[in-house]
Amino acid sequence: MEPRSAVGLTARDVRLRRDGRLVLDGARLTLLPGTVTALVAPSGAGKSTLLRCLNRLTRADSGTVRLAGRDVATIDPRELRRRVALVVQTPTMLPGTVAENVAYALPRATPGDVEAALRAADLPPAFADRDAAGLSGGERARVAVARALARAPEVLLLDEPTAALDADSAAVIGRTLRRLAEGGLAVCLAVHDLPFARGVADRVVGLDDRELPV
Amino acid sequence: MSDGVVQILVAVAFAAVAAGLAIRLRLGLGREIVVAAVRAVVQLALVGAVIAAVFRFPALSVAFVAAMVVASALTAGSRLRGLRRPRLGAAVAIAPPALVATGVLVLTGAFDATPRAIVPTAGILLGGAMAAATLTGRRMLEGVRDELDAIETRLALGDDVRTALAPVLRTAVVTGLVPAIDQTRSVGLVTLPGTFVGLVLGGASPAEAARTQLVVLLALLLVELVAALLMAEAVSRAATAPGERVVPPPPDGRPRRG
Ligand SMILES: Nc1ncnc2c1ncn2[C@@H]1O[C@H](COP(=O)(O)OP(=O)(O)O)[C@@H](O)[C@H]1O
Ligand SMILES: [Mg+2]
Repeated sequence: MEPRSAVGLTARDVRLRRDGRLVLDGARLTLLPGTVTALVAPSGAGKSTLLRCLNRLTRADSGTVRLAGRDVATIDPRELRRRVALVVQTPTMLPGTVAENVAYALPRATPGDVEAALRAADLPPAFADRDAAGLSGGERARVAVARALARAPEVLLLDEPTAALDADSAAVIGRTLRRLAEGGLAVCLAVHDLPFARGVADRVVGLDDRELPV
Repeated sequence: MSDGVVQILVAVAFAAVAAGLAIRLRLGLGREIVVAAVRAVVQLALVGAVIAAVFRFPALSVAFVAAMVVASALTAGSRLRGLRRPRLGAAVAIAPPALVATGVLVLTGAFDATPRAIVPTAGILLGGAMAAATLTGRRMLEGVRDELDAIETRLALGDDVRTALAPVLRTAVVTGLVPAIDQTRSVGLVTLPGTFVGLVLGGASPAEAARTQLVVLLALLLVELVAALLMAEAVSRAATAPGERVVPPPPDGRPRRG
């Protein structure tokens, strides 16, 4: 029997078959508070699918995901998704301003909360009033991070956060993620770009949770 | 020649000219026009005979309305593949609002409790409900597929499925109601609807025809709105998976997983 971590998020033996093909064959992952973990695997290996299993946007065939020691299958999905925030590869902006996106589904969020979330994602407060439909790829990525952070999550999952970004924007995101982890957040980024992963992450692992050899 | 024969010959001539024109212009529509015209001749001849029977034996009107319900469910269902039970879903969306409204119109005395009033009223209301349910259902099925990214974004931000689907549902219901609303507000300006035309041709006074038409049009607004909402609900349920997930129904209606 493996010790159950009472903190962070663990995935064990996650299996998922799609159209008769094993997409995830016993995937494992351990995400600890205060740590940036890079999940590195080739394109098509199942990284995005595993991240979606962590917040139950996708249902795995078998396996266990625990958040702070508790099986996520027993957590209300709405609560789970606020505690385990997912920023997908090409984030979709909802209609409205940046502020409306950040405060989405948070009826009690104040303008101060929105500003704090923007700041945490390295965006100036003036961004709040911009129309979300008119943002560049890099701006969208950061607004999506701010939107996730506004929910005060325990775990932040990012799927290929730098895929569509130039080197400068990628570096900004990298610094943002390091700072968030230093604030106690468990951060996980799924990437296929090993050098970027090494530059940002404390741990660089494959889909079996084993550290990749340097 | 009798009046009836002249009427049919003139009508057939219109269709023949349309078919000839379509063939001449190589629109690829000639065959379809001929088939549609022949179907109309056969269907109306049958319906005329059946309705004559219904007027003679009022109890038959129950069977006739039931047949209209089945026909509307089959027609709408064929356009709503993707739902697991498209015909049942269509029947549940179409029949209750149309039949309840027919009942209200008759029980209040607005329309006579005779087959002559009940059968056409039920027919018009079922037809309107069918159109609204079909449009709404198709728009919503498309919306769930096309806007899955936005829907999943809302779910990932902590929405429940109902809230995440609300914008798609609203758009679908609005789309489904557009013809009913346009028909109502343009009545008399752009179109003279069938009830009015039919009653006037049949010898009713214009005032009487206008009143009857008004009742039908205004009843249709509510009937179509309820039919659209019921159909949107059916699509919502088909797209909802356990654990606050949305799985778009596949276009061919095969069982799916998530
Ligand atoms: N909704 C889906 N239906 C069927 N197959 C899918 C679906 N999503 C992903 N896949 C397949 O699952 C495999 C893993 O995909 P993904 O998780 O996106 O990998 P990665 O993120 O590592 O590139 C791929 O072969 C992909 O084609
Ligand atoms: Mg991926």
